[in-house]
Amino acid sequence: MTALNHAILALLLPLASAVVIALFLRQRGAVASWLSTGVAGAIAALSIHLLLGGERFESSVEWLRFGAFSVSLGVKYDDLAALMLFIVGFVGFLIHLFSLGYMHDDKARARFFGGLSIFMFSMIGIVLADNLFMIFIFWELVGFSSWLLINHYHEKQSAADASKKAFIVNRVGDFGFLLGIIMCYWANGTVNFTELGQDHVFSTAIPLLLFCGAMGKSAQMPLQVWLPDAMEGPTPVSALIHAATMVAAGIFMLCRINVLMVPQALEVIMWIGTITALYAALCAIVQRDIKKVLAYSTLSQLGYMVAAFGLGSIAVEHGGHQMLLAAGVGAAMFHLTTHAFFKALMFLGSGSVIHGCHHEQDIFKMGGLMKKMPVTFTTFTIGVLAIIGMPAFAGFFSKDAILYLAMTKNTAVFAILAFTAVLTSFYMVRLWKITFLGEARSDAAKHAHESGLVMTLPLVILAALSIFGGTWFFHSGIYPKLAGTVALLIPEAHGSAHTTILLVSLAVMTVGGGAALLFYKSAATDTLEEKFRFGFSVLTGLKESFDRVYNYYVAKVQQRFAMVLNFLEQIVLAGAIIRGLAGFAGLVGYGARALYTGSLHAYVYWFLLGAVLLWAYAAGIF
Amino acid sequence: MNPSNAQLLQLAIATPLGAALIIACGLPKRFSTKLAAAAFTAPLLIALWLWSQFPAENAHQYAYLSTTYTGLAAFGISLKLGLNGIALPMFLLAAIVGLAAGLYALRSGAERLKLYLVLLLVMHGGLLGVFASVDIFFFYFFHELALIPTFIMVGIWGGRDRNYAAMKLTIYLTAGAMLSLLGLIALYVKSGANSFDLIELKDAVAAQALAGHTQNWIGGLLLLGFGTLVSLWPLHTWAPLGYGAAPSSAAMLHAGVLKKFGLYGLIQIAIPLIPLGLQHWAWKLALLAGIGNVLVVGFVTMAQRDLKQMLGYSSVMHMGYCFLGIAALSTIGTGGVVLLMVAHGLSVALLFLLATSIHHRTHTFDLSEMGGLAQKTPVLAAFFVAATMAGIGLPGFANFWGELTVFVALWKFSHALTAVAVAGVIISAVYGLRAAARVFFGPASEQLQRVTAQHPPADLDWKEKLPALILLAALLLFGFYPKAISQPVDQALNPAPVTLTAPAR
Repeated sequence: MTALNHAILALLLPLASAVVIALFLRQRGAVASWLSTGVAGAIAALSIHLLLGGERFESSVEWLRFGAFSVSLGVKYDDLAALMLFIVGFVGFLIHLFSLGYMHDDKARARFFGGLSIFMFSMIGIVLADNLFMIFIFWELVGFSSWLLINHYHEKQSAADASKKAFIVNRVGDFGFLLGIIMCYWANGTVNFTELGQDHVFSTAIPLLLFCGAMGKSAQMPLQVWLPDAMEGPTPVSALIHAATMVAAGIFMLCRINVLMVPQALEVIMWIGTITALYAALCAIVQRDIKKVLAYSTLSQLGYMVAAFGLGSIAVEHGGHQMLLAAGVGAAMFHLTTHAFFKALMFLGSGSVIHGCHHEQDIFKMGGLMKKMPVTFTTFTIGVLAIIGMPAFAGFFSKDAILYLAMTKNTAVFAILAFTAVLTSFYMVRLWKITFLGEARSDAAKHAHESGLVMTLPLVILAALSIFGGTWFFHSGIYPKLAGTVALLIPEAHGSAHTTILLVSLAVMTVGGGAALLFYKSAATDTLEEKFRFGFSVLTGLKESFDRVYNYYVAKVQQRFAMVLNFLEQIVLAGAIIRGLAGFAGLVGYGARALYTGSLHAYVYWFLLGAVLLWAYAAGIF
Repeated sequence: MNPSNAQLLQLAIATPLGAALIIACGLPKRFSTKLAAAAFTAPLLIALWLWSQFPAENAHQYAYLSTTYTGLAAFGISLKLGLNGIALPMFLLAAIVGLAAGLYALRSGAERLKLYLVLLLVMHGGLLGVFASVDIFFFYFFHELALIPTFIMVGIWGGRDRNYAAMKLTIYLTAGAMLSLLGLIALYVKSGANSFDLIELKDAVAAQALAGHTQNWIGGLLLLGFGTLVSLWPLHTWAPLGYGAAPSSAAMLHAGVLKKFGLYGLIQIAIPLIPLGLQHWAWKLALLAGIGNVLVVGFVTMAQRDLKQMLGYSSVMHMGYCFLGIAALSTIGTGGVVLLMVAHGLSVALLFLLATSIHHRTHTFDLSEMGGLAQKTPVLAAFFVAATMAGIGLPGFANFWGELTVFVALWKFSHALTAVAVAGVIISAVYGLRAAARVFFGPASEQLQRVTAQHPPADLDWKEKLPALILLAALLLFGFYPKAISQPVDQALNPAPVTLTAPAR
């Protein structure tokens, strides 16, 4: 089999799995879960095989044509796709494995694993897509699988609402995305990434419209509202879709269309990412739900990636020449990779905690889990160290790359991102301390138990990746193959800049983490709420402000507008015009009057009579 | 040009009509249902065969041509049947939806089942005839043949407000049909071809095009007439009312297939014969469709509480996309409309079928009284979600390709209207997902608990599942492989592409 066939196989296997589960395995959850996990394992193997094979290729086939317009489906397997496919395949497989344990007692297990398979199919479609139309197709499909999986506990009203919200908010982003694709098609005559890279027109509108898609999928302001609610889904779904892969698709897509970017568009993107990073970090401080903290943290980290992308290129010395390096792409993809590892780890860790505590999610009702769940505790600690940027851990390298890029390009952004890093270590250490240290504060926490091997093994593997995932990029023989040309794009500080960045990142980590460690005590109430009631309520209000605005819009503006239009429709159109028309018909003559009085058969007879007369006349009978 | 295939085409139309006649003559009931089942199935088998045999080249020409003289030669009328690349997918659509509606009716347990089946068979025969007619008089005749049973079915088996609905339906659709008949007759007179044969009409127009102002008023007549039949805003109010009242199989066939008559007429007749006339009206048509059908009706759909009314309004909204595609006057737009017509026909038929199945279990169409049905009937929920996703244009279902190509075509016509049309995608997601959530998700409503306590709801059984599966399979087939439709349509459009560009703004 050629490498192309392997890639196509990786795309179609999960589709086949979903179809088989939907048709034959609805009542057989165990078989369905093993099938889906087996397929995910096969994808992981294929992705590594393709990656190490070193072959990079492109191929496409026409799927629809009207006149000069055609839509193609194709595969573009370059280094960017190789890296992303590895993340999706490998992290996806670990999360499938974890789900075998986590979802073991769920009565709708088959639907869950079928949904995961549909998701893998859709996500791999995005990764391999060679043109914008194709990426849009799979873009919508990941939206659907996200809807399906958030809605897993569909008898809960909150889950039904959250899934609906996620889908609709994403559609709002896709409104701009689709317009951007269509505009790009007519402006350039093609939407194929390679062809666009060779030649394209200069436009600010196209990249900004395309960015709307990323704002929806990667939950950037002001479309961030759906992601915290999406935590209604089962925890493995939050790890896979709403942390590691799907929400990162927006960043991946931006890197794909990097050639179309212009400075004005990049500036907008940079600021939206920066503000999202800060806003979400502030919101994370006041959350009580373990998954909500992680959700806001994800938002914040996605903001980092978007900001990194928006910071754009830098000039570097290379062999005595000044050249432009697409450092934004490198830094964003680097952080995407390490984030996928440590955030999937922490989400699965929270899943293990929730599982162990009998579905308790309030961190103030936990405590003392360090001794009861040692594996979860150790791996979660590694995740925390990675995200707050402890030197030698994965997040340290990728966050430093972003901070260094910001320092060279824009001081204001650098300041905000550095402050966000302080907040990050503050809320992560708060979460870690309240959950794991101190005394157990509820019965659920007292009777907590460590999860089984099928759940802890993925934690251990992800923990290893959270340690070594960063250095891989720089210091191993694997890296030229793992990230290929992407790794070359990562900005690296040298000399005094290197020292500055190192000091800054150590300082922000120590200040934020130390403050949280000293400030919070192991108690059933939030120390911040007690001591700084005002600050706490400001942050809570900040978190709720967007939802308030949107709820007001939906309930008071949109729905009322619809009601008014409906009223006008019923009264004016259906009432006045139909009566007018009926009156007119009544004037026309007997036939219509007969209809008006309700005799339908009369119409039939008139029609038949007319037809017979016409025929008789034409046939020359009279 | 295989003569036996031409005869098969005739047979496909004659089978349901013949079966209707036999049943009407007093066939006992147990034979009637068997005969009807066979008569609903045969056209689909023939249509699939004709589809597989369709020549890969020159799809703009008609295949399977046959002419039967009817004694109306003095008017230039003869029963000329055939299929070109545009007619073929529509014929297939009619056959698929006809079978699904027929199967659903057979097991529906309707009172006076034999009469119901007779009317449905006549309707089915008429629909197949519409798309197989090369002669535009018979094109119209078959439409009437299918339309009249609709009125009667609404009048007899209709739900709430059936008399008012039947009356309104009759007035609107008769008026629309009359106007379009006038337009067709005007074409016959003005073209000088002295024939209703579309091929001869095209030749005559190719030799000498109609004068601009003639094209303009004929275009206006056809747009008004066909527009009413396809529920162009503000002539659409018959649709939600009529579909709300119609029995399920009639609603499936009318909303799914018969309503496409007007669009099909515009594409197959008006675009080639009077392109300038359409260009004259394009902006007015596009504004009515874009602002009226998509935006206004889109919001009105959001405000509906009755499931069937909501489906009726959403179908009106989606017709707006079809009109927009036609207004774009390009190969892409027209092709997109054909795709969308087939896709919408399948999805709306499926939704009406499932709405009735929901009603059997909840005993209400009121969305505010439903909730949590998915816990009792997961398979029904899965089907409804699939149909909703198809309706709101999710990739993987045929509707997506139709909407996408219409949007692409529309950009050349007007950027602003493209934005309006794409915004419609958000609106349809809002009402589609809201309906699915209201019916199936969340905790079970009080009303549902009361009803299910008396009648424990069973999940979808085979008599409902089979027709639903037929429709869903077709939606997925064309969704995963749109070339099955786009290839003949593209060939049919391309030898004589619509060369006009959009008017300068």
